Amino acid sequence: MAAVRRLHAVNAAGKAQGLSVGQKATDAKALVPDLVTAEAEPEADARALSELVDWCVRFSPAVAADGTDGLFLDITGVSHLWGGEAELMADLRTRLKANGLPFRLAIADTPGAAWAISHFGKDGTIAPPGGQAALLAPLPPAALRLDPDAVAQLQRLGFRRVAQLMEIPRAPLGRRFGAHTLMRLDQALGRWGEALVFRRPPTPWVARLAFFEPISAPEDMARVTADVCARLCTKLETHGQGARRFEVGFCRLDGKVLPIEVGLAVPGRDAARLAKLFAPKVETVDPGFGVDAVLAWAYEVEPVSGRQGNALGSLAPAPEDGLIPLVDRLANRLGHDRVWRAAPVESHVPEQAVRRAPVLEKAKRDATPWDPEAPRPLRLFRRPEPLEQVFAVTPDEPPKQFRWRGRMHQVRRAEGPERIGEEWWSRDIGDVSIAHVRDYYRVEDQDGGRFWLFRAGLYGDPEAPPKWWLHGLFG
Amino acid sequence: MSDFRGKQLAALQAKIAALESSGRPDVGCLPFGAPEIDVCLPGGGLPLGRWHEITGVGMEVETGAAPAAFTALAAAPLARRGEAVWVMRRDDLWAPGLIGLGFPADRLICVCAKDDADALSVTEDALATVGVSCVIAEVEDVDLTAGRRLQLACERRGATGFVLRRRPYGGGARQDATGSAAATRWRIASAPSQPAENLYLGDPRFQVVLERCRGGRTGAWILEAEKAYSWEAGDVAHPLRLVAPVGDRELAPATPRTRRAA
Repeated sequence: MAAVRRLHAVNAAGKAQGLSVGQKATDAKALVPDLVTAEAEPEADARALSELVDWCVRFSPAVAADGTDGLFLDITGVSHLWGGEAELMADLRTRLKANGLPFRLAIADTPGAAWAISHFGKDGTIAPPGGQAALLAPLPPAALRLDPDAVAQLQRLGFRRVAQLMEIPRAPLGRRFGAHTLMRLDQALGRWGEALVFRRPPTPWVARLAFFEPISAPEDMARVTADVCARLCTKLETHGQGARRFEVGFCRLDGKVLPIEVGLAVPGRDAARLAKLFAPKVETVDPGFGVDAVLAWAYEVEPVSGRQGNALGSLAPAPEDGLIPLVDRLANRLGHDRVWRAAPVESHVPEQAVRRAPVLEKAKRDATPWDPEAPRPLRLFRRPEPLEQVFAVTPDEPPKQFRWRGRMHQVRRAEGPERIGEEWWSRDIGDVSIAHVRDYYRVEDQDGGRFWLFRAGLYGDPEAPPKWWLHGLFG
Repeated sequence: MSDFRGKQLAALQAKIAALESSGRPDVGCLPFGAPEIDVCLPGGGLPLGRWHEITGVGMEVETGAAPAAFTALAAAPLARRGEAVWVMRRDDLWAPGLIGLGFPADRLICVCAKDDADALSVTEDALATVGVSCVIAEVEDVDLTAGRRLQLACERRGATGFVLRRRPYGGGARQDATGSAAATRWRIASAPSQPAENLYLGDPRFQVVLERCRGGRTGAWILEAEKAYSWEAGDVAHPLRLVAPVGDRELAPATPRTRRAA
């Protein structure tokens, strides 16, 4: 049976004709014969909302999506950049209108009150500080973002306005309609905190540059990147902080925000160096019809002591002069996982004995270093390669010959075995098997090639006959 | 702390050397300690502040094990003077193996590049960095321009480059003229070891052919890794020991290539 097709959303004209969300499509067609419908695309809607959230970052660093069709902006401490809340709202209104989106705006002390007023109150209301109760009072209870069940019950019992809910004692209210209702009421009135899930973690380390005219020339883009970095770095410097990660977002005229990011190996705030790291990435940004604002964020901020100019002048190079910039350059160019220092891990399983440590993490020496006496190959294959035509005289003896990559190797000398078992303590006991035991041999063939091969499993088990593998090459 | 001071001192020395000879620093050489080899090399040892090309034989062109071991041994004394950088395309270099050869893996920065051009430019960048004493690059090919650029990068700080020519797995054979900017070109193959008691494996041995040497002579030898070598020990001996000379002609047929003017 085909699912009943219902209306997902209705525009203002449709509403005027008596259509409503959730109505059957056939009923709607009967009501309005020339109705134009389009397939609902919830994923595309969600994507558009998240793009809108990104776009709103130009107004405040703290933007949270609300449900499927709304968003919250935390404008605490940013409205003065526009000259006040009203001016900010006016700017937002002009820009949203230019995008052709229908919208309703409200400013209030709490997210709950702002939601209520924007959805049920007058569009564009700015609640004075502490004055949301008076504005909420005439609104219906549904404005409190309650469950549909609670709303229905409130309706049934004759609660038509939020004011009525505010009047009755709290205890019976909570008992009858649930703690959730009480919490929503308190959140709207600012008696209970509300955590918003912001798109970006809120950070005070933001710098912003807006332009009168949109820019698009590559040299302009590079210059504003340097400028916004300098602004952010000054802020960091006055607070004695440095950051490991920097992000610059270009707000394009068409509403997209294009972010680029660089990371530093040690926290820093050198604007000139940052600009150099950003330079190759700025070139990849497509300015479209122009960029009218640039933002910079700093993440993983931590205190950094200022570095004194070296008394020896340029003669004594410190790691800051050579190694750290090199690591930053390489990591930002190739990717952070492509530059590393090998560090020991306390595991006798060869594949797990090495971890990739950050290059400048030198102080940590918790794991015992590798044993220089143990025979270990210079090249270790990520996956051991199977050997064919292996011939060993007796069990527990290295092979006399083997075939690898289509070539026969006659073993002249060998040493071993070195038995390496699996780490049975770190996995499910049911998976532990004698077939996972490996006996490693170091062998040398007729030409002097040295190989690290192993036999997995033991002889005598008819179900799992031992197999030979090549795991690495010695020089 | 002593490590830090030592590093600073080394970087200082390198800088002074660069100041003394404006432009092209004469940062000396690294003698093998065997007169038979050193006499072939200009200045009596492996020239530093230059770059060297190292190739393998047969399967080693792809796996690059013996050339890598030889390079690690040749570069181990340099790692004492600063940081070492290993630029690779496949990350199959295994640090415990380096430790076993006496190369300080904790002073090695590993970089995995996406392609040859990337690897070469990373190498160039690293060679010109203060505090980096040697850079080992695994690339398939170095053309004339890239080689010249590497040489200029080496000259800036006196760092030494090792270009390990390694073909990607399954790649076709490419035998084009390369690297005339390299100071030396070596062809490395592993050689059967000679243990004292005829039971186990002996110290790794290499059949080393010095195919080309600017301002020097070519030669072929069998070298053995010094078991006791440790970069920390401060011993002056080179980690490679001469075992036997090999007649020049003996190895020549193994690589049937047209002779090029040196």
